[in-house]
Amino acid sequence: MGKGRIHIFIIEDEPVIRRELKVLLENAMYRVTTPDVFDRIVSQIVECRPDLVLLDVNLPGISGFDICTCLREQSAVPVIFLTSRTDSMDELNGILMGGDDYITKPYQAPLLLARIASVLKRTRGTEEKEGTLPVWKGVQLDTAKCCLFVQEQKAELTKNEMKILHRLYQNPGEFVSRMDLIEYLWENRVFIDDNTLSVHITKIREKLKSLGVQDFIETKRGIGYRI
Amino acid sequence: MRLKDFFKDKGLLLLLHLVCMGAGSGFLRVTGYSKANVQIILIVWGLLLTVWFLVSYLQRRKYFREMERILETVDQRYLLGELMPSSARLEDRLYREFIRKSNQSVIERIRQTEEERKDYKEYIESWVHEIKAPITSIALLCENRRRGRQEEPSDRLTEAEKPEEERMDFLTIGLENQKIENYVDMALYYARSEEVYKDYLIRETDLDTVVCEVLEKNRLLLIRNQVRAEVDCKDRVYSDRKWIAFILNQFVQNSVKYRSGTPVFRIHTRREKNGVVLIFEDNGIGIPGEELSRIFEKGFTGSNGREQERSTGMGLYLCHRLCDKLGIGLYAESEYGAGTRLCLEFPISNYISREETA
Repeated sequence: MGKGRIHIFIIEDEPVIRRELKVLLENAMYRVTTPDVFDRIVSQIVECRPDLVLLDVNLPGISGFDICTCLREQSAVPVIFLTSRTDSMDELNGILMGGDDYITKPYQAPLLLARIASVLKRTRGTEEKEGTLPVWKGVQLDTAKCCLFVQEQKAELTKNEMKILHRLYQNPGEFVSRMDLIEYLWENRVFIDDNTLSVHITKIREKLKSLGVQDFIETKRGIGYRI
Repeated sequence: MRLKDFFKDKGLLLLLHLVCMGAGSGFLRVTGYSKANVQIILIVWGLLLTVWFLVSYLQRRKYFREMERILETVDQRYLLGELMPSSARLEDRLYREFIRKSNQSVIERIRQTEEERKDYKEYIESWVHEIKAPITSIALLCENRRRGRQEEPSDRLTEAEKPEEERMDFLTIGLENQKIENYVDMALYYARSEEVYKDYLIRETDLDTVVCEVLEKNRLLLIRNQVRAEVDCKDRVYSDRKWIAFILNQFVQNSVKYRSGTPVFRIHTRREKNGVVLIFEDNGIGIPGEELSRIFEKGFTGSNGREQERSTGMGLYLCHRLCDKLGIGLYAESEYGAGTRLCLEFPISNYISREETA
């Protein structure tokens, strides 16, 4: 998807946060640069030509706002401020200094990733949408139309069912634990519990059955589901 | 100051005059003055005395009325010493001096206390910001360790149980870390609730986004407690996102604490004549009727709080306080044993609604 090439530059003075942020973003398939000295930081950024900068506001000896102001003179790279301050004034400042978003610590990993993705989408026009619709074992999932296709037959899906299948289609052939599945759903604004998940799975199975597909979703007790 | 009280106060002086009058007229009579002459002297004396008393009564009344007026109109009454009307009388001047000195020490003390309080508040704020760095580190660490093996998912299920246990441990640490975060936030918002106006950023706010963010933030806690949530918040309001998120977060914490067997949260908005109401409904254990009116009091824990889990009685108190400052209505309805409903009423200001219709 070309996402792997997206380069994120992290300016954060707290070593543990820096390391963990790097891990988090690398797991999310970004390329990450994390300098640990902040001398001539602006030229460091400009030389690296990143696609996005995550900028801590409170750095030793210098404020992230100042860095952003300097950076803006040379580059239009999107900047997301990370800060433990929660003043409204700070937030306003961040936006006035040319920041694209402002996230307060302690941030939630999925939320952070979502905000990064949305800033990238806004500034680069990178669409997450895949060109081809995912097909697995002859069943095609159309996320745009929210339905399933088996050959020419079609079954409508509800929003929740679609999201469940979307997660399963991300790792075809592998088990996705119920916990992971539910967590993915909560991150995508489907706030359901374990029992409701089972109900949804049953409904998806019925729909698949009506399309003549049996045993498409496999259950392993105590572990999860697999397509 | 009433006339009666004034004369009572001057009783001794009056008595002195009467004694002098008696003694004087007795002496004059003995030394041969006629009765008529003595009567004239007494009448003139009496008249002069009455006029004297009346004039001084009026003067005094004016003086004290002025003082009362000052006390009523000034909002910091300890400043009286500086504002007292000047007077030619020695006593007044002396009292004024005493009051002024005493007030000065009060002012000094107040200033000092305010200074200390401000220092303390600033310290709390900076402490909160400092502690957020380690909280962030722990949160990220847990999140990465918990999800860590997602890059090599094929190994995941073949691995022994131990890593699964480890994952659960990191989940638990993460959850405890979130509790710390919430307590820290409460301290910060409590310190700030005095001067909310300094930290406003009122803008059009999509309640749906705020509600979803709060639920997402608490997803691990909510999933672990088997919560199901239904969100239907189409309306937008003009308010400060951060403060609403804090208030909603307290609602979520409470509803999880006092949940029932199969917890369901229903969060929806309703547009009303002069505002938008956000309703946060759960099917938890509810609040006994006699306690309902007290849940927003500081330190009130109620029978639920004592039986279920440790409760500080601060969460809803803070919500109430913040809502007051933000101009948001907050009220609760509950059926004991069936659930609780908390409502936030966002007013639509005339100015904005006029613009919308225009």
